[in-house]
Amino acid sequence: MRIHIGFAAAGIAVQCLIYPSSAASQQIPSIPPTKESVCPDNDPVPLLACAREKLKSFKPPRTRDGKTDLSGFWGGTQAPHENLEAHPRTPDDNGGPSFVVDPADGKVPMQAWAEVKRRENRAKYIDQNAQCFQSGVPRHLYMGQYQWLQTPTRLVQLSEETNAYRNIILDGRPHLGADVVVWQGDSRGHWEGDTLVVVTKNQVGRGWLDQQGRFVTDAATVTERFSLFDANSILWEITIDDPLVYTRPFTMASALRRNNRADFEIWEESCYEGESNAESLRNLGYRTYPGFSAREAKAAKETFERAAAAGSAK
Amino acid sequence: MTIKGVLAASVIASAAVVLTTQLSAHHSLTVEFDISRTVTMSGVITEMKWTNPHAWLYVDVKDEKGQVRNWAIEFGSPNALYRRGWRQTDLPPRNTITVTGYPSLDQSLRISATDVKLPDGRTLFAGSPISGGQ
Amino acid sequence: MRTALCLVAGWLSIAPLASAQAPSGAAPYRAPRTIDGQPDLQGIWQAVNTAVWNIQDHPAELGIPAGQGIVEGNEIPYLPLALARRQMNYRNRHTGDPETKCFMVGTPRINYMPYPFEIVQTPAQVTILYEYVHTSRHLRFTGKHPEGAIQWIMGDSRARWEGDTLVVDVVHFGDQNWFDRSGNYHSADMHLVERWTRTGPDHLSYEATIEDSKVFSRPWKIKMPLYRRVEPNIQLLDYECQAYLEAAKDRENR
Repeated sequence: MRIHIGFAAAGIAVQCLIYPSSAASQQIPSIPPTKESVCPDNDPVPLLACAREKLKSFKPPRTRDGKTDLSGFWGGTQAPHENLEAHPRTPDDNGGPSFVVDPADGKVPMQAWAEVKRRENRAKYIDQNAQCFQSGVPRHLYMGQYQWLQTPTRLVQLSEETNAYRNIILDGRPHLGADVVVWQGDSRGHWEGDTLVVVTKNQVGRGWLDQQGRFVTDAATVTERFSLFDANSILWEITIDDPLVYTRPFTMASALRRNNRADFEIWEESCYEGESNAESLRNLGYRTYPGFSAREAKAAKETFERAAAAGSAK
Repeated sequence: MTIKGVLAASVIASAAVVLTTQLSAHHSLTVEFDISRTVTMSGVITEMKWTNPHAWLYVDVKDEKGQVRNWAIEFGSPNALYRRGWRQTDLPPRNTITVTGYPSLDQSLRISATDVKLPDGRTLFAGSPISGGQ
Repeated sequence: MRTALCLVAGWLSIAPLASAQAPSGAAPYRAPRTIDGQPDLQGIWQAVNTAVWNIQDHPAELGIPAGQGIVEGNEIPYLPLALARRQMNYRNRHTGDPETKCFMVGTPRINYMPYPFEIVQTPAQVTILYEYVHTSRHLRFTGKHPEGAIQWIMGDSRARWEGDTLVVDVVHFGDQNWFDRSGNYHSADMHLVERWTRTGPDHLSYEATIEDSKVFSRPWKIKMPLYRRVEPNIQLLDYECQAYLEAAKDRENR
């Protein structure tokens, strides 16, 4: 059966019962932290504080061109694809605390019209992951097995799941023009000290950020910071800025854990070629998620707000 | 909670956690399968497809009326099986197996497997391949 | 879905090969090195030929350009029963070709699809990122082919250097792939050996030897040049065929 790094079945079954929830997770049980991790990677708020402390003194390994060496095999540590906000364990969900570290209440700051659309998304559309489409940024990095390849001009993040890849360009060239949108977005990375800062634009706006139907449009800018705070751990901070969907930019944090399994390789997962779940989902009435361009989002938002204003004027 | 209760809960919890970590990678299980109940059936393997994202086992099952219908049993990904040393040639041909799993919400002949057992009680594709003769 | 190659031609560096090839008697082109000291194959490359339609010589048809094939000797040595199957494939090509279902198209076909690809090199492997349905291949210098019966669409690739040529051994294929849109095919037993060689600043030579005793009576070879995409700021985009196809299925279902 499919096994993700840190989620070995037997280990988890035992640890779930004996590991106490941290106060910060508001009594919601979470996937236990990775064994031997120097910071608690199962709770973003303490993770962030701990990792920032480690970063003050940690000296990372370097590539031949003198940059932090982020290459190697990595694994996701939690399950943000279920829900970006705090959510309980169910037979369907592992559960866990919120991934949102800013705003401090851990809530994703959706605009009113977008929250209505989110619920509609869940009711009507298929999560892109079920159809083996690529997940976009940041979702493609949430969980699973990864291999990162690093050269002076590229950081390529390879996923085993659906053979996806994200190609981060490090040579300082400008972004694509606004008329070209791509599923994994257009990513440009630059170094701020030992941290790789990646800015992603031009996403197609046809993917969900989580299984709750949260979304971005093609106008979104996603800014990530990758900081190696330990030989085996990366702090991953993600800020999403989509002024049509969210009331303000919001930031999430998670950790990526090095996969030190000897001789591990990413193997082919030809997801779409064997995919048959979409047919049964269509039989149940679901459809492929059409997404929102910036133009469509603007129109939907204006319609909603006009109706809301008319309603309250009565 | 009594010790018995804790142990019972741990079995349920472990089954649930194993299941969700397997399937949550792709999509919400509840959208497609009825996770409020499981069904169990026995039948003869006709075919296995080692496809992604799910491998499929096809089983001829006789219903109460004696009619034989071919059911599709959804497994995890082939790479997980390959990594544990299993190969397509390891599948015992024409073997009878007992399958437990969640039935499909759209009433089609498919199950999301939670357990697949051979007649001698061994769990199919669990752990490592059977040694000898492989 | 069938891209007209003529639209792309203007963007490629199709400088006459004579300027890149060494005159006879002179040493072959020596590629610059990567930061790790390997011959540098990196960059964005694309095939400019009609092999995706038919890897052998073929005349034009409505919507299909004429082409001189990439098969050495222009003969594919099918066994008699296999030839009948190839002809049946041709008759069924509008639905039987995996490309019509937006599936990955296997190796070597992925290398002559009408979309660019990017080669990224690191010490342990050469990775090729293809624009077509986000396919990727990892040509590994480490490890060996995993043992036993495994079927992957793109195969398992293990690489080594022979001088400045990257030699790649590929096995573990499935049996659903076609070499082209005309029904040329192979079995799961195919064994492919690729040779990638820089022949100039903007050219790569690609050769592959195909062995498959279930389908062919002997090994045979294909060979073609690959051209660097030299536009400033060229980068890989995407062709997420599956997404377009699924949206079309929704419209049919309504």
